[in-house]
Amino acid sequence: MRALVIEDDPDLRALVAQYFVDEGFVVDSAADGEQGLYMATEYPLDLAVVDLGLPKVSGVDIVKKARKKGCSYPILILTARDGWESKVAGLEAGADDYVVKPFHKEELMARARALLRRTGGWAKSTLESGPVMLDTAAKSVTLNGSAVDLTAYEYRLLEYLLLHAGRVVSKSTLTEHLYAEDMERDSNVIEVFVRRLRAKLDPDESLHPIETLRGQGYRWTLPRTPPA
Amino acid sequence: MMSLQTRLLLAASLVLLVFVGLCGAGLETAFRRAALDAQENRMRGLVYALLGAAEPDERGQLELNDGDLPEPRLMRHESGLEAAVYDEAGTVLWRSPSQAGSLPLVIGPDVGKWKLERLGDAGRFALSFGLRWFVGGDDRPLRYTMLVLEEADVYDEQLAVFRRTLWSWLGAVAAALLVALVLVLRWGLRPMHRLVGELRSVEAGTQGQIDAPYPQELTPLTGALNAMIRHERSQLQRYRNALGDLAHSLKTPLAVLRGLAGDARLSGDTQRQLDEQVGRMQQIADHQLSRAATAGRRALAQPVAVQPVAARLAAALHKVYADKGLAFDIDVAPRLVTRVDSGDLHELLGNTLDNAAKWARMRVRLHAAHAATTLELAVEDDGPGFPPEPERLLERGVRADSRVPGQGLGLAAVVEILRAYEGEIVLERSAGLGGACVRLRIPGA
Repeated sequence: MRALVIEDDPDLRALVAQYFVDEGFVVDSAADGEQGLYMATEYPLDLAVVDLGLPKVSGVDIVKKARKKGCSYPILILTARDGWESKVAGLEAGADDYVVKPFHKEELMARARALLRRTGGWAKSTLESGPVMLDTAAKSVTLNGSAVDLTAYEYRLLEYLLLHAGRVVSKSTLTEHLYAEDMERDSNVIEVFVRRLRAKLDPDESLHPIETLRGQGYRWTLPRTPPA
Repeated sequence: MMSLQTRLLLAASLVLLVFVGLCGAGLETAFRRAALDAQENRMRGLVYALLGAAEPDERGQLELNDGDLPEPRLMRHESGLEAAVYDEAGTVLWRSPSQAGSLPLVIGPDVGKWKLERLGDAGRFALSFGLRWFVGGDDRPLRYTMLVLEEADVYDEQLAVFRRTLWSWLGAVAAALLVALVLVLRWGLRPMHRLVGELRSVEAGTQGQIDAPYPQELTPLTGALNAMIRHERSQLQRYRNALGDLAHSLKTPLAVLRGLAGDARLSGDTQRQLDEQVGRMQQIADHQLSRAATAGRRALAQPVAVQPVAARLAAALHKVYADKGLAFDIDVAPRLVTRVDSGDLHELLGNTLDNAAKWARMRVRLHAAHAATTLELAVEDDGPGFPPEPERLLERGVRADSRVPGQGLGLAAVVEILRAYEGEIVLERSAGLGGACVRLRIPGA
C-alpha cells in the first residue's frame, strides 16, 4: 500500500509517516500544498492523508484538484479546526473521512484501514475469500481457520491482491505500491513473492487463488465471503 | 418621542391654519370696506338727489317737498330709509315721512364734508353732509346739515352671507389641503417606512441586507447600514479564521505530543500520564475555542436556511459512516430560515447528527420547525438510546461509550452554544425510531 502524507509540521509529518511505515505502507510525504498536490496527482497512491491547514495550497484545494484529475484513492483529512464547516468543506471537496488533531495512532490507522477496505469493496475489517481470511487490524492471515505465517512483504502482497480481488493487478503496480522508491525494483522479486504466497495458501494446488495473466499481471480469483 | 410624520403634520397644519385665518380676515376686511363704500356711495347719491329736489321757500330757506322726493322708500313709513335736514343750530327743519326711528343729535360736519357713522342704538348708518345754501342776492348763505339714515340690516346680512360663504369655503379648502398634506407626507415618508421595515426584516433574519432602491437623500444611510452589516459579518469570519489558525497551531504540537506519548521506549505509566495530559490540554483548547467561536444571538445576523445546512451535514456524515450505510431523513421545510448564526447552526446540527450517526443502526432523522418564534430541532436515531442519567452526557468530556471514536465533546459543545442563545436541550427516547432523541429549542431564532 502506498500512502501520501501531506502535513506542514515536520514532527507530525514524520510521526504520521512512521505510523504508516510501521503498518507496512510505502510512504511519500510532502511539507507544503504545492509539493503535496504534485505528489497527490502524479504518484500511484492507495491513500492520502491531507492536513487542512497547509501553506501555499490549502488542503481542501488539494483534495478538490486531485479529485478533478481523476484520483479515486481514499483521502483522509487531518483537521485542527473541529468546526463542522471546515470538516464539511473537506468532505464536500472529495475527502472520505476526517480525523481531528490530536489523534491517537490507533484511531488514525483504523480510519485509514477502514477507508482502504471500503474502497476495495469490503465491509468488515476482516477480508474473507474462500478459506483465506485476512484480519487487517491484527495483520494476521488464516487458512481454513489455522494461522498462516507470512513475512511482511508477503502479507502486503496478499492484502493488496485481496483489496483488489477480481481485478488484474500488474507487476509494475505491485512494485510501485508495495515497495519504497529506494528499493531495487526487480520484477522477479514480485514473482518470487507470488510463488511463495501460492505455496503457503495453496500447498496442494487445489485452490489456485492467484491467477497469472501473461503480460498483464495477477488476479485474486476466489470469491469474497460475504460478497461485497 | 413624537414621530416625524406627526411633527410635520402638526407644523404644517399650524401654518395652514394661520394662513387660512389671516387670509380670511384680510378678505373679510376688504369686503367690508367695499360694502361700506358701496353703502356710502348709495347714501351720497340719495343726498345729491335730495339736494336736487330741494327748493327755496318763501323765506329763502331750503325746503323739500314730500311729493318730489327721489326715493319712494322715503315716503313709506318705517321703510328703513329716512332723511332729515338740520339747520345750523341743530334743529330739525325737515324730516322724511318714512320716520324710521328717533333722529340722532347731529354734529354737522364742515361744509362740503361727508361724515358716515354707524349709530350704535338701532344699527343704522348715518351719513351727514354739511352745506351752504345760497338763495341769491347778498343774503348771508344759510348753513344746513343734510342727514340720511339707513338701517344696516341689509349691509349686515350681506356681510354675514359673505362671511359664511368665505369661511365655509376656506374651511373646505383647509380640510382638503390637510388631507392632501397627509397624503403627501405619507408618500414622502414612505421610503423611511420601507427602510424601517427592511431593517426589521434584517433584524428578524428574513433578509440579508437593505435591498430596495431609495431616494438619493437616503442612499448614503442605506449604504452605510449595509456596510455596517457586512463589516459585522466579515469581522466574525475573520475572528473565526483567527481562532481556526490558533486551533491549528495549538493542536498540531498536541498531536505530535500524543504521538510521542506512544513511544515504546517510555514506560507504560509515563505513556498513560502523557496521554492523559495531552487529553486535558485538548479538552481545554476545544472548550475555549468552541466557546470563543460561538457567535450567539446577534441583532443583524444573516438569515440562514436550515435545510441546505442539514443536507450538507447529512451528506458529509453519510460519507464518514459509509460502512453503516445510514439513511438520513431530513424533515425540514426548504423555506425554514433561522437567525442562528450559520457557524453555530453547523455546530449544533453537526454535533447532534454526528452523535446520532455514531449510535444509529440504520436511520437518523432530523426534524426542524418553528413553534411560534422558537426554533425546534429534533434529531432521532434507531440506536440503543441513552443510558440512565443521560444528563451526564452533556458534561464536557463524558462519552456514552469510549469505544465509539469521537471527541466526547459533541453534546457538551451543543449545550455551550445553546447557552449563548438561551436555548434548551432535552435528551429522551425517540418515539418513532426507538433510539435516542435530542431536542433543541432556541427561542427567538
